[in-house]
Amino acid sequence: MAHPLPSGNSLARLFLPAWTIAVLVFLYLPIILLVVYSFNNVPNNMDLSAHWHGFTLRWYRAMWADRLLMQSVRNTLIIASAVTVVSIVLGTGAAWLMHRFVFPAAGGLQTLILLPMIIPEIIMGVSLMLLFRAIGLNRGYLTVIIAHVTFCFPFVMAAVQARLAGIDPSLEEAALDLGATPIRAFFSVIVPYLMPAIVAGGLLTFTLSIDEFMVTYFTYDARSMTLPILIYSEARTGLKLTLNAVSTLFIAGTVILVLAMELLRSRR
Amino acid sequence: MKLFHIVLIVTMVLSLAGCNRSSQKQQQRLHLFAWSEYVPQEVIDGFTKQTGIPVDYEVYDSNEKMLTKLLSSPAHYDLIQPSEYMVEHLIKRGLLEPIDQSAIPNVSNLLPEYRNPEYDPGMKYSVPYMAGTVGIVFNSDKIKDPIRGYQDVFQPKYAGRIIALDDNREIVSWALDAKGIDINDVTPANLTKVKPLLADWLKLVKIFNSDDPKPQLFSGDVDLGVVYCGDAAKLIEQDKKFKYVLPAEGAHRFIDNLCIPKDAPDKQAAEAFINYILRPEVSKIISDKFPYTNPNGAARKLLTPQQLANPASYPPESVHLEIFHDIGKANADISQLMTELRNGR
Amino acid sequence: MPQAVAIQPALNVRRPGWRGWGLFAPMVAWLALFVVAPTAILLVYSFFTGEGIGEVDTHFTLENYRRIFKPVYLDLFWRSIVYAGATTILCAMIGYPVAWYIGRAPASRRGKLLMLVMIPFMTSFLIRTYAWFTILHEHGLLNGFLESAHLIPTVFSHPLNILYTPTAVMIALVYTYLPFMILPIYTSVEKLDPSLIEAAADLGAGPTRSFFRVILPLTWPGAAAGILMVFVPAIAMFAVTKIMSGGHIRLIGDEIQEQFEGGGDLPFGSALGMALLILFLVTYWISAGRSAKVLRGT
Repeated sequence: MAHPLPSGNSLARLFLPAWTIAVLVFLYLPIILLVVYSFNNVPNNMDLSAHWHGFTLRWYRAMWADRLLMQSVRNTLIIASAVTVVSIVLGTGAAWLMHRFVFPAAGGLQTLILLPMIIPEIIMGVSLMLLFRAIGLNRGYLTVIIAHVTFCFPFVMAAVQARLAGIDPSLEEAALDLGATPIRAFFSVIVPYLMPAIVAGGLLTFTLSIDEFMVTYFTYDARSMTLPILIYSEARTGLKLTLNAVSTLFIAGTVILVLAMELLRSRR
Repeated sequence: MKLFHIVLIVTMVLSLAGCNRSSQKQQQRLHLFAWSEYVPQEVIDGFTKQTGIPVDYEVYDSNEKMLTKLLSSPAHYDLIQPSEYMVEHLIKRGLLEPIDQSAIPNVSNLLPEYRNPEYDPGMKYSVPYMAGTVGIVFNSDKIKDPIRGYQDVFQPKYAGRIIALDDNREIVSWALDAKGIDINDVTPANLTKVKPLLADWLKLVKIFNSDDPKPQLFSGDVDLGVVYCGDAAKLIEQDKKFKYVLPAEGAHRFIDNLCIPKDAPDKQAAEAFINYILRPEVSKIISDKFPYTNPNGAARKLLTPQQLANPASYPPESVHLEIFHDIGKANADISQLMTELRNGR
Repeated sequence: MPQAVAIQPALNVRRPGWRGWGLFAPMVAWLALFVVAPTAILLVYSFFTGEGIGEVDTHFTLENYRRIFKPVYLDLFWRSIVYAGATTILCAMIGYPVAWYIGRAPASRRGKLLMLVMIPFMTSFLIRTYAWFTILHEHGLLNGFLESAHLIPTVFSHPLNILYTPTAVMIALVYTYLPFMILPIYTSVEKLDPSLIEAAADLGAGPTRSFFRVILPLTWPGAAAGILMVFVPAIAMFAVTKIMSGGHIRLIGDEIQEQFEGGGDLPFGSALGMALLILFLVTYWISAGRSAKVLRGT
């Protein structure tokens, strides 16, 4: 049901949708171009102009053959997956414990956990780099995963906390009364209840990790190079339409995932 | 929540697959840390095919970045690619491993003039990879006036048409040359002298780019600039309208080397790689892809007359060329001066 | 938004026993090791002395902080604040009507509209930044369009030179951060009680008045969160400014990156990082305090 806008606002009634459409055009124009140009048969990779040279699929073929590119895509997915799993465990655990227990420093701890969500990424990047240097941990998958988890798990925690705020306390009590141990009660009653929030937090974590650039920049090495890092170093050296091709596939994947979720939701 | 299970399972499979791969391969790997746009992928693949040693290739776009990262990842890289003044600096700080020349028989392919460099007498710590100059490239369709030196490039009429290397020391050295000051005499007094000139010049520059200025020149974003000779040579190969000039005020020559950093995990692999790239047919591939001045005499014999006649790759002998030396702490002064001058309006 | 989630006391809350603390231990260890320790190291480094590229002398000095107060670096901070501030204001002006429209749309359509805003941001922001090259390039689509519409010789005397200018940087920054403004404002708008607006109108408030006196204060928590979520990352951004300005415009993020990479003066870079951290905390404190005040007032 639409809420009526304040009276005398027929202008707003026209203006708001028009403005929204204009903004959506602004948001989508580069993306659409990116997709269209992934099919552009550009003869020379020094040519930055926007000329159309005919349709081709060769950038998609070249993409599969590009070992470095494929490795970075694989790295990105591996890292994002690992980060998601660890963040879900840490984030859900943290949210539950903060919900379950009261203690004097709870507020401070809460702020400390949430800080990495909003602290400027470059500060996280350079300070973690100094830490890894100090403790002699060489850059690699592990350093990137640690860095990502540190700013991702708070998102899971926040999502789970929001759901916990509305939990019926009798839910857990009922489980305990039925003779379950607290741990079993947690996994058989609480976790299923929290599942939507865990999924939301997990998906957010996954997307954040996939697109992370600045923190990764200070913690990766050649083997753990992710796609954003590759894009940063490759796109500076002329046109690389294989990058457009990869991005197009990522966009397609996202759209399919979104549609699938939408479908799943409407079925229920 | 079926979706969640699917995500979870996919995740676990993926991360397990990743773990397996990394734990299985405890074999030799070569960690190569080199300039961007400098080592062709074919050469790296060829080396792996030949020796079975996979290569991790990481890139940088300035010697200083290389050094900073080298220091923050000790005992990680097997092979680095510093320029001559950085070799000097690394030797001074004891950061290089001596190279065992007997493991690199192909050193004999190098031309005699490259085998006893002043920054590393006797090639104890370094083996030349490629050499070259920094010079002026211009599009002769657009630029009709004669271009002989830096003063002809940095003119108000070319404002917004100029590209320059994104390398503070390079840019400062051009101004030093224009003022007739030795490019290695980087003192606060000399920096003060060139400051007004630099301030004027930097205002005219449209793009700073060390990675690859070719697309912007080729697409007509800019018409002239100061670039590495390899990029100029590549542009000339594409289109004869591009011309390359060594600045009359004094030009600067560089020699990039392969070196093994102290505590490199796999010295043998590094030496094998050096030996591999010194093969004439491999060195030719590098010249084809990145037409700098090839120090490899045997490889030069395989190049086409056109390649050897490219003025950017093989400039006339007559011009006086200087090389950079280690300037130590003066780097910080340069950095601060350039931060001050490169304020975008 | 970190301050948003309040800890609600449930019925069965209790003080943690030793077993409870045991469960807390991994999390606390993670925070100590990867949040507290790195920040502490950054702080310690900022008092060391940089000795040539990448080398650090552990002598205590305040020189790094003194250096920050040189005009060069004050300029840098000021410029960063200006760019981030302009980005924030533009995002708010462009994003507010969109957030309002989505928030007031029928509930069934809101999710879809929101998704529509989010989808473009599932691709790497770097590749999206480069996509602007195609448009803003001297021989790009914008100039091509203007030429084919015969606007170039008539309205504009020559092709527009937007790429590698501050305008290009602003376009890319706004583009990158717009959804971070739309989303939080949307959450506030969605919660808004429509009867309040009607009441204002009934009392004779014009649209402008009711916007500034009723709507804006009520949606301010969302706007404040949006400001925080745009301003903070924008001020510390590197890469986008460098790419779009062709290396001309350097903000504080670029300088920190430069010190940790090329300049190699880690202590000075750390001091710049600490200064940025303080700037961040002040921003955080102001915007969080403001939104709390507004909340209390209503």
